[in-house]
Amino acid sequence: MITFDSVTKRYPDGTVAVDALDLEVPPGKTMVLVGPSGCGKTTSLRMINRLIEPTEGKIFLDGRDIQEANPSALRRGIGYVIQQTGLFPHRTVEDNIATVPLLNGWDKAKARTRARELMELVGLEGSMARRYPHQLSGGQQQRVGVARALAADPPVLLMDEPFSAVDPIVRAALQDELIRLQGELHKTIVMVTHDVEEAIKVGDVVAVFRPGGHLAQVDTPEHLLGAPADDYVEGFIGFDRGIRRLSFFSANGLDLEFDAVLGEDATVDEARRLAQGGSHPWVLVLDAERRPRGWVSAADLAPLPGTGRLGQVPLASVGHTFRPATDSLRVALDATVLSRTERAVAVDSEGAVIGVTSYERLRDAIRAAEQAADAELVQGAAR
Amino acid sequence: MSFFSFAWNWLQSSSQWHGAGGIPIRVLQHLGYTGLSLLVAALIALPAGVLIGHFGRGGFLVVNLANAWRAIPTLGLLILMVSLLGFSVLAWLIPLVVLAIPPILVNAYEGVAAVDRDLKDAARGMGMTDWQVLRKVEIPVALPLIMLGLRTGAIFVVATATIAAEIGLGGLGRYIIDGLATNNYGEVAGGAALVVVLALLIQFAFVGLRRLVVPTPLRAMARADN
Amino acid sequence: MNWPQFWQYTAANALLGIVPAVAGLAISIPVGIACVRWRWLYGPVLSATSIIYAIPSLALFVVLIAYTGLSNLTVIIPLTLFSLCVLVPNVVDGLRSVPEPVRQAATAMGFGTIRRLVQVELPLAVPIVIAGLRVAVVSSISLASVSGLIGVASLGYFFIDGLQRNFNEEIYAAIVAVIVLALACDLILVLARWLLTPWSRKPGGRATANAEGAQLLQEQSA
Repeated sequence: MITFDSVTKRYPDGTVAVDALDLEVPPGKTMVLVGPSGCGKTTSLRMINRLIEPTEGKIFLDGRDIQEANPSALRRGIGYVIQQTGLFPHRTVEDNIATVPLLNGWDKAKARTRARELMELVGLEGSMARRYPHQLSGGQQQRVGVARALAADPPVLLMDEPFSAVDPIVRAALQDELIRLQGELHKTIVMVTHDVEEAIKVGDVVAVFRPGGHLAQVDTPEHLLGAPADDYVEGFIGFDRGIRRLSFFSANGLDLEFDAVLGEDATVDEARRLAQGGSHPWVLVLDAERRPRGWVSAADLAPLPGTGRLGQVPLASVGHTFRPATDSLRVALDATVLSRTERAVAVDSEGAVIGVTSYERLRDAIRAAEQAADAELVQGAAR
Repeated sequence: MSFFSFAWNWLQSSSQWHGAGGIPIRVLQHLGYTGLSLLVAALIALPAGVLIGHFGRGGFLVVNLANAWRAIPTLGLLILMVSLLGFSVLAWLIPLVVLAIPPILVNAYEGVAAVDRDLKDAARGMGMTDWQVLRKVEIPVALPLIMLGLRTGAIFVVATATIAAEIGLGGLGRYIIDGLATNNYGEVAGGAALVVVLALLIQFAFVGLRRLVVPTPLRAMARADN
Repeated sequence: MNWPQFWQYTAANALLGIVPAVAGLAISIPVGIACVRWRWLYGPVLSATSIIYAIPSLALFVVLIAYTGLSNLTVIIPLTLFSLCVLVPNVVDGLRSVPEPVRQAATAMGFGTIRRLVQVELPLAVPIVIAGLRVAVVSSISLASVSGLIGVASLGYFFIDGLQRNFNEEIYAAIVAVIVLALACDLILVLARWLLTPWSRKPGGRATANAEGAQLLQEQSA
């Protein structure tokens, strides 16, 4: 648990980078500090491991004032990951990772074994152990950086825009890795980013900074999207937050229908009968494993011989499917918007069709989820 | 007795200041050898360095050659020349020039080669010919380093000219060599003191020259780069 | 040709050239570290070394005679001072060439100042420092031969002797010996750099060599 107690950082020329900051970092969770350039988020982060010393106020780590500890000793218990990695060019990957254990007095063999363990943990091939950093790609280097920070198993991990220097695809992969790692390790992570999307994706708690070193709002990503504290936060979060908020609502609660679904061995006649019922302009055709093959409409069926198999009929593409068990309402909505038929297909883990959704059903689900979330917000505020 | 007392005593004696072997004459001689050699070396090395830097070929060779050049013993070269050519002008001029060429050449090359590529592109884009780019952009921007090369060359030449007294050259080195031969430490010390003063004055002259020749913004740029 | 004497004087020349370079390095490292730590120090230090560098070696040798007589120190002390002019800038540049993220990461991991210097910054400064050391050694070995003029044993003796006795073989031999000695030391340092920096052995070595070559020519800063 990290506590900022009225921490201020003022520079000799008068600039105030951080202004009377009160912040509590919950243990075992990821807190993301986010804000525009010059808002004090990086300064705040670097005061935790005393790379920058506060002008006023105190910072407590697990109840102890960090000023009382010897700086080097303090830092060996805190992992630190930066944007440019800062890997030692003159040491191999495994020796880079083994740095802090070696500093702590481990013998070389033990430290290197630990390094290999960590390489596996962060998804690096063992063959890279003896390589030098310049021989690795940007994404690989950043994985080494993370491994190095975790080597001595510190309870706290500080990350300063760790993924900003890599391209978007690699960045997304690294963010997913971090989420997975945190799921296993439960470290107290404080991460700084200027990318609000990253904050929302990765953070358990998000602290939004205002220029001048003040906090605007500290909340879960979901609450941030649902109830921004003021215009500044709302503007910072960006438009379409309503839709982005949907990614926090599970698609499991969606009401699905199964009426207009037929196997590929069914006849055109059967399909025509279903379609002419009126309420089903489109019929979904499944294959032998119950996986979706495509849609067919009443208009498509009209010229066809009644005895034809649906499997032989030209079908409209199903587009994206979604898995209610793991996906959010946002995914379901996206699939529906993209679909030619204004219907999205829900599948299980094997790809077999569970049901079909529509805009109406989505609307009902969204309304229900938002009501539940808002009720929670009110309860939280009351507390 | 310390170096300074020996030198001071000798310098105070008025006979040193008059006559064919007097201090003023020797100073002029020393300056003459220095100036002439630097001029010849610059005439050879400046165009070569600038062109190599401009065309970008052979830089690798230049740099490594210059380092090897430093291995050549100046005294040995002087004496070698005398043994081959006798006590003639060339015997001292060639070594002085040869030893001054590397710093002038390499610094000129580096100065021109280091000119910002974007700057050269912009100049070409404005319609300047290759030759104009060289004259109006590359050389002016390279001036600080070119001046540094000349100044370093001067250091080598002044030092070698001092030693060249051994092979009969005039100049301030004469006092040192003659004094050593006659065990007259006063003369040796006086000569050395004069050499030190002259060498430093020449350096200050170059600093002043640089101030004159190199426009202020370029000086600041060069300082920032260093 | 008195060969035994020749080899003896070659060894003497080697000593007179190598000791100043090593001593210069030993002085330059703490001075360079100080100049990086306290930036205002660098300017005055550079000016001081440049001034000394401008003074002809013979004059400096002669000044030292009053204090150290006709001994090896008379030659070694001035040559050491000369080498500072090359080595201090190279130590400073070498330390400054360490990327800031690397230095910051080291501090953040809990390296104290000294440990960081020894384990991170100095090793990374090696290529540039060795480039300076090469210049220092080559110059020192060559300049040491001037000691023949003041009667301190070195290959310079054979220049003078050869001139006086009109014995050209001696002159050629001594010149070749000086050059070979200097270049051999240069080569050893190149090898040392290759051995000490396994992480920089990669294709594209020419680019690195050129950058180093540029370092070789930084006799002094403007």
